[in-house]
Amino acid sequence: MRFFKTLLILVFLIPLQSAYSFTVGDIPIQDEGRIKPLDTYARNYLLAFYGKRSIPELDLSATDWLLDLILDPAKGKNQKIFNIRNPEVVSSIFLDWSTDHKYSFNQVLPGLKKQTSLLKLIDDKPANTRTVFEKQLLELSLNIMRFEEISYLKSLKLIPSEISENHEEWISPFEFILNGIKPNEYQSKILNALQQYLASRMENDFIIMKSSLVDYEVALKSIPKNLFDIDNLKKERWLNQTNLFYISLAFYILSFMILGFNWMTRITFTRRISYALLLIGFFAHSYGIILRMIIMNRPPVSTLYESVLFVSFIVLLFAIILEYFRKDGLGIFIGAIGGSVFHFIGFGYAADGDTLNMLVAVLNSNFWLATHVTTITMGYGASLVAGFIGHLFLVESLRKSNDKAYLKSIFNSMFGVTLVALFFTLFGTILGGIWADQSWGRFWGWDPKENGALLIVLWQLMIIHMRLSGLAKPVDFALGMALNNIIVALAWFGVNLLQVGLHSYGFDDGVAKNLFIFIGFELIFSLGMYYLSKNNLKNELST
Amino acid sequence: MLKFLYNFISSPKIFVYTVLWLMILVFFGTLAQKDIGLYASQMKYFSSYIFLFYDYIPLPGGRVTLLLMTLNLSSSLFRKTLWKIKKIGVIILHIGGLLLLLGGGVTAIFSSEGNMVIEEGGKVDYTDDYHRMELCFVNLSLQDSLEYTVFDEELLVEGNTISYDKLGLEIDIISRIKNTRIQNRITEVDSVYKGFLKQFVLLPKEPEKENTQNRPSLIFRIRGSKNNADGIYGLFLGQKDLDIFNFKNEKFFSEFRKERTYLPFSIELLDFKKVLHPGTQVAKSFSSEINLIENEIPRRVLIQMNEPLRHMGYTFFQASFIEELKSESTVLAVVKNYGRLFPYISSIIMSIGLLVHLIINLPKMIKKNNSIKA
Repeated sequence: MRFFKTLLILVFLIPLQSAYSFTVGDIPIQDEGRIKPLDTYARNYLLAFYGKRSIPELDLSATDWLLDLILDPAKGKNQKIFNIRNPEVVSSIFLDWSTDHKYSFNQVLPGLKKQTSLLKLIDDKPANTRTVFEKQLLELSLNIMRFEEISYLKSLKLIPSEISENHEEWISPFEFILNGIKPNEYQSKILNALQQYLASRMENDFIIMKSSLVDYEVALKSIPKNLFDIDNLKKERWLNQTNLFYISLAFYILSFMILGFNWMTRITFTRRISYALLLIGFFAHSYGIILRMIIMNRPPVSTLYESVLFVSFIVLLFAIILEYFRKDGLGIFIGAIGGSVFHFIGFGYAADGDTLNMLVAVLNSNFWLATHVTTITMGYGASLVAGFIGHLFLVESLRKSNDKAYLKSIFNSMFGVTLVALFFTLFGTILGGIWADQSWGRFWGWDPKENGALLIVLWQLMIIHMRLSGLAKPVDFALGMALNNIIVALAWFGVNLLQVGLHSYGFDDGVAKNLFIFIGFELIFSLGMYYLSKNNLKNELST
Repeated sequence: MLKFLYNFISSPKIFVYTVLWLMILVFFGTLAQKDIGLYASQMKYFSSYIFLFYDYIPLPGGRVTLLLMTLNLSSSLFRKTLWKIKKIGVIILHIGGLLLLLGGGVTAIFSSEGNMVIEEGGKVDYTDDYHRMELCFVNLSLQDSLEYTVFDEELLVEGNTISYDKLGLEIDIISRIKNTRIQNRITEVDSVYKGFLKQFVLLPKEPEKENTQNRPSLIFRIRGSKNNADGIYGLFLGQKDLDIFNFKNEKFFSEFRKERTYLPFSIELLDFKKVLHPGTQVAKSFSSEINLIENEIPRRVLIQMNEPLRHMGYTFFQASFIEELKSESTVLAVVKNYGRLFPYISSIIMSIGLLVHLIINLPKMIKKNNSIKA
């Protein structure tokens, strides 16, 4: 019941954000193929330059930093905004290594200019042969260029172009001046409002700032064609500012702490509090995903980052259902641990910049994203839950080897979740085949990503049939499902490392190391626990 | 004996072992793709009945494994213990699985695929095979028609001699190069080299992992023309200016090309469109506006990503494109697959089966403290 009540509240919350007044962070800007709020734009570039999404030392938000830079480029260029953490890069541009790793535009530029020929050489190299130093130096030079383009408004594509069939690219105020474009009616309205806002901001005239923003919104609404949704811009800015996923993470961690307290004290009430905290975290989590779906008008999963968010959502969903039926903390344990771990993985991906990217042509299909991708990701989630229970079973079969009824109940939950997992992975895989049949002309091509999904399905089929045919005892089954986590990780992240086939659109360097650590840990933990509990069983039988 | 055999083949243990073996195949077949490319690895591990491990040890390939799995699954359906109302979901599920495997078999054996490259304004009525090549001689001297003589992939093996009976010629295949580097000749050559080979040499270079990225070539000697057409010729894939020769007062040219399969209709490319996300180099969509011409009656069709054209059992997909200075060409993948409906049907059957089973059994499973056996 509580579930529905909170859901209801959330549903009412969604339209609320559009009631917010129009702020400077909501100003639409075209960047990387997408119309996004200025707030997102500023955050992404600040993240790329500075390594953070705001400047806490100066108490500046990303948007404030951006506007200050535009209004006073001379001052902005002396601001230490470039975060260079590689001493090789620092010395290559003739700078002294400083412990705060921060350098200003005016410090970096002369050194880079002296290295023009080196940069040209790096630029000509194929991307996969560049060393870390070369990549970072090149990135720095690109960032310097971007910074300068922002400082004189060149890359700020704020003004929608004349409405026509072929020209979708927006225009920056700089281009208006440079190319002598005569603005049309709504363009001049926008330009006027922008000018007024910037002028009043320079003089700290808050009243005019406010009124010019009202003008700005009116000007945007006067565009004859529906290019973007102002409410969505507001929603995105709100999502940026509230950091819903930090909130959900906090609640998951808190829930885990209270659960620990519950284990020590055995007070039922604390378990309920812990469950409630988990639910609150889950709502923040789900709300974040829902908002992202509304903003991009797309199903929940289309990038690797989103798959992490969604898998953890599924893990939590299963955990909550399990807890609802079992009421013994097992579900909370799985949910809190799983949720927290995946949030941290997700933050790792979010550190790359904008997480709401546009999609390449073959992925650009809401129908298949909604069916295949969502199903297979649900399969990953359910498999991981079964895997978590597998770990738990191995531990508990050591700790409480006498409590057969308790072990059996855990086993039954694991078996049930495994069947659900199989349902999603199997149909996710088949749906993927059908999508491939629709877009590439073959149902199955033994492509790494397809094979990865197939491996999960086959492993689960094998484990289930081993159990049904009596080849595997519950503890063997638990081991099987625990090791299934490795296969899920390989299929999810590992196949991208091969860089072959049609699916390799999510490559990442740092993943390999983490993946191997994870696999090593899983192998040692699962096999170790399995060995110990088998031994335990033997000793029991012999005494 | 028969009963023993039946019990053996229908045992779940057989299933477990075949799945285990399939997993091993899939794992190593996937890893191998990094080194030998997708196509070669698929041929070796999955589309083979038997493959050789380290060149000497024969092991069952994907087809044998899947065949065994199909046998196991179909025979297990006859087990009496299975046919209980409680297991209705399981039965439906397994029938669906069997259909999926059968569909895979039909596709593996009967489907054919290739691609079709059409320049804007051009018209094409055949598909090119991805891998198989052919050597083609075209007689240009006939009135109002062209005569094609085609030698198949199987004949084009190094050391083989083909007799071109109609003209009384013998063709020796001297060399078949997988991936070719074309180099200018520096020195004058013997008059035995003809046409293109007078100025250039065809040299082998390291083949690419993906076979489709290679530029194969063929070097052959013609004997028996009783005129100066005897000599050594070289052809490579995609050659533009083909040499014209005289055989017995008739004009010919030869071409080394991908094996063609002719279609009962033709396709004309009106316009190829590539749309980028504004301000980026990321493609948002590709599409080909074509005329499907059958009995000289055109029909306009738009083929785009995820929206193929299906016609007379063939399916045309937007696969790729070629951008040149003056023109654009579209690359359509063409597939004829009799088994393509199997996955659709079987996935519906399987999901019904699994859902039925879950609905019957799941609530009992996840509740704490129960005595019902999973």
